[in-house]
Amino acid sequence: MRKIKDYILNAITYIASGISVLILGVLLVYLLVNGVKSINLKMFSDDYWAKNYLVEVDSDSRNFDSKYNGDDYYIKKYDIAIKDDDKEIVVTYIGENSQFNELKSLTVGDSLGMITPFDVGYKIESIEYLDSNGVISIGGVLLKHNAIEVAQILNENHVNSIYYQSTSGGIKASIINTLILIFVSLLIATPISICSAIYLNEYNSKNKFNQLLSVSIETLAGVPSIIYGLVGITVLFPVTQLFGATTTSVLLGALTMAVILLPTMIKATQVALAQVDQGLKDASLSLGATKVQTINKVVLPGAMNGILSGLLLCVSKVIGESAALVYTMGTFISDTPSLTNQGTSLSLMIYSIMSNDNPNFELACAISLIILVIVLVLNISVKLINYKFNKLGQR
Amino acid sequence: MNKLFSVSDVNLSYGDKHVLKDINIDLYKNKVTAFIGPSGCGKSTFLRCFNRMNDLIDSCKIDGTILMENKDIYNKKYDVVDLRTNVGMVFQKPNPFMMSIYENVAYGLKCSGIKDKKVLKQRVINALKQAALYDEVSTRLNDSALSLSGGQQQRLCIARAIAMKPEVILMDEPTSALDPIATAKIEELIEELKKDFTIIIVTHSMHQASRISDYTAFFLNGEIVEYDITKNIFQNPKDIRCENYITGRFG
Ligand SMILES: Nc1ncnc2c1ncn2[C@@H]1O[C@H](COP(=O)(O)OP(=O)(O)OP(=O)(O)O)[C@@H](O)[C@H]1O
Ligand SMILES: [Mg+2]
Repeated sequence: MRKIKDYILNAITYIASGISVLILGVLLVYLLVNGVKSINLKMFSDDYWAKNYLVEVDSDSRNFDSKYNGDDYYIKKYDIAIKDDDKEIVVTYIGENSQFNELKSLTVGDSLGMITPFDVGYKIESIEYLDSNGVISIGGVLLKHNAIEVAQILNENHVNSIYYQSTSGGIKASIINTLILIFVSLLIATPISICSAIYLNEYNSKNKFNQLLSVSIETLAGVPSIIYGLVGITVLFPVTQLFGATTTSVLLGALTMAVILLPTMIKATQVALAQVDQGLKDASLSLGATKVQTINKVVLPGAMNGILSGLLLCVSKVIGESAALVYTMGTFISDTPSLTNQGTSLSLMIYSIMSNDNPNFELACAISLIILVIVLVLNISVKLINYKFNKLGQR
Repeated sequence: MNKLFSVSDVNLSYGDKHVLKDINIDLYKNKVTAFIGPSGCGKSTFLRCFNRMNDLIDSCKIDGTILMENKDIYNKKYDVVDLRTNVGMVFQKPNPFMMSIYENVAYGLKCSGIKDKKVLKQRVINALKQAALYDEVSTRLNDSALSLSGGQQQRLCIARAIAMKPEVILMDEPTSALDPIATAKIEELIEELKKDFTIIIVTHSMHQASRISDYTAFFLNGEIVEYDITKNIFQNPKDIRCENYITGRFG
């Protein structure tokens, strides 16, 4: 009878854990199928919004010993190659000494005459050139020219100006914003949490006030983060104004995030502190160390592993948070990360992309995949740290 | 003979639990005093009274007086940190800090504000020598203390305590976690230390008590039933309960 009961209980455990593994697997496969095509190294360094450039190009002929051996349309005069891509004309190769590496901006303003960025993947929109009769003409996508024709124009005519567009869909700014968010929120939350946890664990005489404090902290951990977002925008916004913010901003998001992290971090630190062997504390005190010395030299170093894994958990919490940040950071994807401006973290970026008029599902999946991998790595590190810590403790 | 501690009418309770009952005892300088008695009779609790480690336990209440060289150590004006520098303690389980061997011994000294590197080094080495550990660790003072064997760790804890140059060393079953050879080494060491320190030791081993102590106090249910020169206790105990315990008939 007991055997059967054990058997059933075991089976339930296996099924339950099997289901969780299955869900994780399905999630991964789904994201992989939809997102992996749009993941490339360039997206980590690209801007999200495409930029347009109007430039002039040096038309003097140069001698290249070109290494180009692809199948796209090669333009000998400039040592670049282009191809057709869904009604666009895309650059696929730029030689080392190509004139296109030193395009000069024709846009009136500060950037006039400056060298503009030009890279593989950029799209050539239109070209203004002198045709064989010396008449100014226009070529390019606007005139439904395809790559062969554009290559021919570039090769055979004097080019006055080129209008092109940079690649888009990059996540550089969101990555930087996420890093800022993590750094600032942890910078604020960590010292406060460690101090509170030390107070609660090491100085807490069990009076009513302290018990109330512990209960409140536990309650705070259960409050949905969107509520923190609402409170953040009313209470913390004036604080960010002192730093020069005029709208919702990355700083406001970080401050709100810090508040959200406090209960988690305090709890993690408390657990870590409680794991420090009482024998070590006794030994320290018996040697005439004061309480403060004991905490600094024995308790905190002993709890360091636990605190560290708490920190990592907080990092993945920041990466995963979106609800509270919609109100406090805004959903505008900015390509110029800054503390006091709006911007998106990676998670927010997904929200932003998907609530566009034409949602970019592939990019959203690609970002999700990146987030998932980061969170997975963080969680595994936490496990490793705890594993090492436990092994040390057993000695 | 010089009295070091003079304990009168000490009662101690944890919450409602009355653990020490009307303890009166005098302890002598540069002697080894052993506390023996069955488990749970309050030996450790009483030992911890001498360096006020019981202060750390919220529920613990103590009355009566403990004089150390005629000063009441439970007086509000008596600084606990001073007391603990003067009364060292070695615990049942070797508990070195997760630091190097050197840092373990230097720990108390540094906490007490000694910064001079030369002084520190000298005192660490002296303490290690006094604890008969120096020869074994002299080449690896910077290794982790956790890399030592259990017996070495316990001698390190003794070195750590005597580095503070205390007057008294309290030892709570210091050999109960060690094998016979390591135990013999520590007993030898106690024999040596007796010249410079007053030692109060709790032990469950009758052999140990009779071998190393000058005085023995027999505890039962929170009372001191018999206290005398060790030889008297072991050769002709006056109280029948004490005799039964020593001969192994109970406890
Ligand atoms: N922190 C505490 N809180 C409550 N009761 C305690 C505490 N420490 C010890 N006691 C109780 O006080 C009594 C005496 O304990 P103590 O540790 O002094 O005994 P002991 O003689 O050292 O025993 P052993 O030989 O097993 O070490 C025991 O009944 C124990 O349960
Ligand atoms: Mg004990």
